[in-house]
Amino acid sequence: MLSSMAIYAFLVLVVYGAALSQTGSQFDILQMSGGMLWALIVFTSLLGLNRSFSYEKEDGCLEGILLVPLDRSVVFLAKATSNFLFLLAVEIVVLPLYYFFFLTTTTPQPTWPLMLIPMLVGTIGIAGIGTLLSTITTSTRGKDVLLAVLFIPLVFPLLYACVSATTVVVAGGDIEGIFRNSVLLAVGYDLVMVLLSWVLYDYAVSA
Amino acid sequence: MHGRIKIEGKGMTVAKTNKHPIGGLSDKLAQPALLLGALLTALAFVLAFTVASPVVGAKVNGVELIGNEMIGNQILLSQKIFYFHMPVAVVSMVALTGTAFFAIRFLMTRDALYDLKAKICTEIGLVFVICTMISGDLWTRFEWGVWWVWEPRLTTYLILTLMVIAYFILRAAVDEPERRATYASVFSLIMYVDVPISFFITRLIPSSVHPVIMRSDSGMSPDMLAPLMCALFGFCLIVFGLYRFRARTELIAVRVEAAKDTLDE
Repeated sequence: MLSSMAIYAFLVLVVYGAALSQTGSQFDILQMSGGMLWALIVFTSLLGLNRSFSYEKEDGCLEGILLVPLDRSVVFLAKATSNFLFLLAVEIVVLPLYYFFFLTTTTPQPTWPLMLIPMLVGTIGIAGIGTLLSTITTSTRGKDVLLAVLFIPLVFPLLYACVSATTVVVAGGDIEGIFRNSVLLAVGYDLVMVLLSWVLYDYAVSA
Repeated sequence: MHGRIKIEGKGMTVAKTNKHPIGGLSDKLAQPALLLGALLTALAFVLAFTVASPVVGAKVNGVELIGNEMIGNQILLSQKIFYFHMPVAVVSMVALTGTAFFAIRFLMTRDALYDLKAKICTEIGLVFVICTMISGDLWTRFEWGVWWVWEPRLTTYLILTLMVIAYFILRAAVDEPERRATYASVFSLIMYVDVPISFFITRLIPSSVHPVIMRSDSGMSPDMLAPLMCALFGFCLIVFGLYRFRARTELIAVRVEAAKDTLDE
């Protein structure tokens, strides 16, 4: 799964290459880099989340997990953590590649390492919401499309906050105000969504 | 306790009582409520054009290009949209609150009746959400001169719209009734997180172009408040009437199915 996610992310970068090929030299890619990076993360995570539960479907693995004499929320935490780690691993591969292909000619602001904070917060949220939704969609018809239909609107506020936080630290701007507010917004949304997913997971996984 | 539709095993079986809550007090009230709601909204429509004073476009200083016309200090006729847009939006959120309530009730009791009610609430919510989107889009076009802006209220409401649509796509994609009910309830509860966000975002992010309307000093004169309140209460009554009519139809359908099953046995 890791390799297919990494290759998919790489292919998205290649598509970006074609999409941006006619933009010319006046084009300020730094302003767009946060948004493009997060679009890449969202699409890659969709792929990973779709597959993460199809493995559990093989050989009745999910039934085995549900037989474990533990609270179902433990299953949620375990599954969300593994999704989180997979996403993080892909991001570690993709981030340097992204820099290599698009940003070597630019000079990002010296505050750019701060982008790791929204990245971490955003990935936690994506893994939390995504785990619940992929559990729901795994036993439905047309699950790949359905996951995207449910996942993208739900993750939108998080995406919005993370994009603005990332863009501010990379391209410059009001770090005190925008960065802090966006990260706080993302953390708040994470908390609400992960807690809600945690509470509701029992119902979703045993249905 | 009313007659329950019980879920047993994988299939949905109906308890063989004829005690589904049809024809109770709320069903008797549904028809007058719908009529009164229609009257009130019609009255609001008339009031909005007769009593409510026209609003002068505050943003237009000098001459600006709005909708391919050079416009000076215009009297905004399109402001009349507001008297319907805002009540419809509030009412859509009321309907979705009903969805969340019945979803919690379903998860607590596993009673398919609550899933049915949650579905009906979402259906009505979808109608009003679409009305809000259409009236809101007309508003952005004729008041702000653009078709769409990524403004906080618009954005959060757009994703609410998408999620309400996704709710029905999710329902259509699951075959087993029990599973469908559970998944729909779980999703509608996550979806509901966006409703307070969308409602309060104009307070959280004051840069938003939407004014905060629900406050004691909203700056609205009584002649503007009258059509607004008429429309608000009218739409609330319409939601109630629609909900009861729809619930009645669905419950009668369940009863017919149950009767068919009894005949088959």
